Amino acid sequence: MKKLGRLTEYVITVLIILSINFFLPRMMPGDPFLFLSGDQGEQISAYSDEQIRQYKACYGLDQPIFRSYLSYLADLFRGRLGQSLYFNESVGHIVLRRLPWTVFLVCGAILFSTVLGTALGSLSAFYRNRLLDNVLYGFMMFFSEIPAFLIGLFFLFVFAASLGLFPLSGALTSFSPDRSVVQVLKDIIHHAVLPVAALSLTRLGGMYLLVRNIMISIIPKAYMRTARAKGLSRYRIFIRHGLRNALLPLTTRIFMSLGTLVGGAVLVENVFAYPGLGLMISQAVMVHDYPLIQGIFLVITLLVLSANLMSEVLYRVLDPRVKDGEG
Amino acid sequence: MNRFTKNLHYFSPTGKAGLIILSLFFLMAVFSARLTTHPHDVSSGKALMPPCFDHVLGTDDIGVDLWSQLVYGARISLLVGFLTAGISGCFGALVGMFAGYTGGWMDRFFMRIIDGMMVLPDLPVMIVLAAFFGPGLAQVILVLSLFSWVFTARIVRSRVLVIKQKEYVIYARISGAGPVYLMRKHLFPEVLPLVWVSMIRLAGKAIVAEAGLSFLGLGDPTSRSWGLIIYHATRFPGIYYTRFWTWWLLYPFLALSGMVLALAFVCRDLETLADPRMNQKISGGV
Amino acid sequence: MKPESGRIHMTCLVGLVALILGSCTGPRTPDLPVMENGRVEVLRMEGGDWGYPTPFAHYPRGPGGFKMALIFDSLLERDETGLIPWLAESWEISDMGKTYVFTIRKGVIWHDGKPLTPDDVCFSFNYASKHAATWATVFGVIEQVETLGGNRVRVRVNEKGATLLYALGTCRIIPAHVWRGIENPRTYLAPEALIGTGPYRLTDYSQEHGTYRFEAFDRFWGPQPRVRVLEYRPVGEPILAFEKGEIDLTSVPPDLVPRYAGNPEFALVKSPAFWGYRLVFNMEKSPPLKNTRVRQSICLAINRDELVEKIARGAAVPGEAGILPPGHVMYHKPKITYDFDPAQAVRLLQDQGFHVADGQGEITGAPLLDFHLLISTQEVRMAELIKERLGQVGIMVHLISVDGKTRDARVRDGDYQMAIIGHGGWGQDADYLWSRFRENPSLSPSTSGRCGYLNPGLNVLLDKQHVALDPALRAKLVADIQEILAEDLPELALFYTADYTVYRPATYDGWMAMFDHHALSHSKLSYLDRKDGVH
Repeated sequence: MKKLGRLTEYVITVLIILSINFFLPRMMPGDPFLFLSGDQGEQISAYSDEQIRQYKACYGLDQPIFRSYLSYLADLFRGRLGQSLYFNESVGHIVLRRLPWTVFLVCGAILFSTVLGTALGSLSAFYRNRLLDNVLYGFMMFFSEIPAFLIGLFFLFVFAASLGLFPLSGALTSFSPDRSVVQVLKDIIHHAVLPVAALSLTRLGGMYLLVRNIMISIIPKAYMRTARAKGLSRYRIFIRHGLRNALLPLTTRIFMSLGTLVGGAVLVENVFAYPGLGLMISQAVMVHDYPLIQGIFLVITLLVLSANLMSEVLYRVLDPRVKDGEG
Repeated sequence: MNRFTKNLHYFSPTGKAGLIILSLFFLMAVFSARLTTHPHDVSSGKALMPPCFDHVLGTDDIGVDLWSQLVYGARISLLVGFLTAGISGCFGALVGMFAGYTGGWMDRFFMRIIDGMMVLPDLPVMIVLAAFFGPGLAQVILVLSLFSWVFTARIVRSRVLVIKQKEYVIYARISGAGPVYLMRKHLFPEVLPLVWVSMIRLAGKAIVAEAGLSFLGLGDPTSRSWGLIIYHATRFPGIYYTRFWTWWLLYPFLALSGMVLALAFVCRDLETLADPRMNQKISGGV
Repeated sequence: MKPESGRIHMTCLVGLVALILGSCTGPRTPDLPVMENGRVEVLRMEGGDWGYPTPFAHYPRGPGGFKMALIFDSLLERDETGLIPWLAESWEISDMGKTYVFTIRKGVIWHDGKPLTPDDVCFSFNYASKHAATWATVFGVIEQVETLGGNRVRVRVNEKGATLLYALGTCRIIPAHVWRGIENPRTYLAPEALIGTGPYRLTDYSQEHGTYRFEAFDRFWGPQPRVRVLEYRPVGEPILAFEKGEIDLTSVPPDLVPRYAGNPEFALVKSPAFWGYRLVFNMEKSPPLKNTRVRQSICLAINRDELVEKIARGAAVPGEAGILPPGHVMYHKPKITYDFDPAQAVRLLQDQGFHVADGQGEITGAPLLDFHLLISTQEVRMAELIKERLGQVGIMVHLISVDGKTRDARVRDGDYQMAIIGHGGWGQDADYLWSRFRENPSLSPSTSGRCGYLNPGLNVLLDKQHVALDPALRAKLVADIQEILAEDLPELALFYTADYTVYRPATYDGWMAMFDHHALSHSKLSYLDRKDGVH
């Protein structure tokens, strides 16, 4: 019964998100088929009214909004995300091609920031108020506060442009056939280093701070003193008790931050022209491509939502004190 | 006042430095008109003049004095940061405590909202909201608050959930303490430091977020915040190959980082200050 | 201990700054391929996704259409001076511009080896008239198409117009055996959709990476391609990519021109100024703008030279009161000129009894001039300058900054008082003046923007030039129209941008700009051996 209740809650959340997802993009003022102006120097071909009418009829945009909403839900139920208005392709195809890149970036950033954040946070807590702690803390503060796009631009300029260590943009070297799988993989990682680093650095501070604070708060705990009394070495106490205690908030933090992380990915992908969903969604918003915006929103939110579901399951596994549903 | 000076004693040197920087920015914001000789919104010299005697920090691409822009920009950054933090911190704390304490369907209701908010990729939604509300400072604050409160709420709620399971709270409840009493006496004091710290953090985040929105061109175009100066500078074609960035981009960047770092240092000290038990134990223990 | 961390921040920052400073050096010269016998194996250009290059699926924004044109030929092509024969060897216009007879070239084959027939041409016109192509030149225009003997095709159009030859001539010819039966051409993305008669074939396209690769078609009917492979790849910073040799041509921001000017390794080309910003007035929403004197004083109060110098950093031409840019084939310098003259603007406004500041901050007169200026975030700087200048003559301006799409929709719906919009196409046939200024309820507001401007005399002239087939007569009419526009100022051309493009002549030197379009890399003639001539 309780499980069912939980499930309905998630279904309701999904429904709410679906509705927001449908109406928010359509509330944007502007017409997706109207092209009066372009960016400086950009060529545009303005559509005539007749042409716009033909397109709108073709995509069902001439229907009343509530009917579009119903047919949108019906289409979704049949697993159809619709047809992109601007990119002339089915949204499902576009999303499928872009998704792996974003997942790759985000996972890379999570992995990198968590591992490094935990290590540095523990180190910092261990040497609390010593030189190392202060230096680390200062660095973390500095980098975690600078917006990801600025870090990204900075990386782009220093490491890619001036030093030439990394490629300027993109996810792969185009037009170089006859490469082995290893070479291709190396190429992909080579391209991903800067975006992942830029994305991680902004997350790193949060992770570091979290671990550091938990560790610090754990030191005076009674069981730690007991452990120390038992003669365990400080390192082992730290690793065993500290990390175990940090695991819970850390996992929640990771899952919690997914939404923001995706937000960061939007900016970073734009800086590095990285072909993920983030780059796509900003383009889609720019041209008011409703079905595409909705499709990308939906995929991202569903992914993050299922991650949340997982985090709750994990939470319960890891912390038996929190009981299921207080009522 | 007395309490303030007493507390000041606890501040570390960096914390004090942060406070000094913050108060400098406050002074800048309050006495903008006295500190500048040139207008901050209309041109007063040639375009892209390097720093000189008349224009201490040079001018931007349409010839507006950069020092004036920086000084007036402090107002906007502080306003955005603290208003957003205030609104979202208070609201988030209330929701978090309420949801965590009452539990049941109210908790689940708020959690669904919080989940929903967190799950929505904030930047695209902000882009859409900014397009919908139109640009303007109030709108920017609104959009930022709309997305910030959930963090405080979530942190507060999870802390309340843990405190609720603590023995002394359970005893108090068994002994017949009412919810208001419990919240006031046990939950609120435990949670308050978290709220303070998260609010200061939110202020920093809001300032950065405002800069980010401005960087995307979604800020108030007439506000001339630091983020907007950076936006105009980075959009200037060839900014990285010319010398212009050495004053046009660097100073707002430094101001922004300075403000955010100052906030972070103050936040750090508040974190230890807010939990004196932790502080004492540590200074006595390790 | 703690100040130490602060010091470390400073050290980092200084280090970063030093790094950036150190990297601000001049262009480097990487090892690059050079032409052999005027031919080159591969040319690389800035990529980006502009859509699947069929006439229906490429995107309306950006250069996607020019990539499509590498694959698909049209009956006529554009060179530096005008229209030239392409798939059509010759053409005749009769019936006062309602009937067009094209003689189709023989021996042209599609990429799949089948020959091009006049039936394909008929099919293309009929299809494009029914289904809007992205460049919908003939959508809804065709009345009837039929083949005559001797490889000739006769096209009859609904309404006569001086620009119809251009419209018909640039309509893409598609193979009937592929497109017959395709109901929704926008979503037809099969490999067969890319069969054309053009000099290049698409061999690789990636939507997500924004890459295109074209290879020369070895059985192309016309002048032989000088470049065997064209590669388009995305770059983060075009200038850097150019200097590292990743791309072979790029546009240069004006402040970087000295980096390349005078260096024989580079060729620097200033493009014709065919991309412009205009300030449009909504006279229905804001009655004071109906007053010609008010519009004239706005024009006098805005310093267009300053806009060019500050906003475009010198790489632009100040706006002309007669709308057409100076590089236009039908440009005429109007007798009336508006140099920056705020004092004169104040006098004009005072004469009309408006409440203005006369330089000393003294205020006279009654009604206040107060406008909302609608802009997208791209035009904020420009709008701020305009606001400042208009403020000096007592015209208050409030900026309303929205995103580009919103601005466009509001301009179309007439929901603005003044607005700035920027777009290309100012070099095209002067008939665009007809669609912009002709008072005509049936005319699409999408392309013009309602403004409430009415001048019957101008309407007559616009209509006359719209159907005039004699170029000399048209030029005369268009000159008169520019005189009226300069006098009336129904809208204000602010400036036309003239970008700089840089390339390395040793790598490739075939670049050319079409007579009505600014970009060097957009014309397919840039890649063909034009000494060959069109047979």
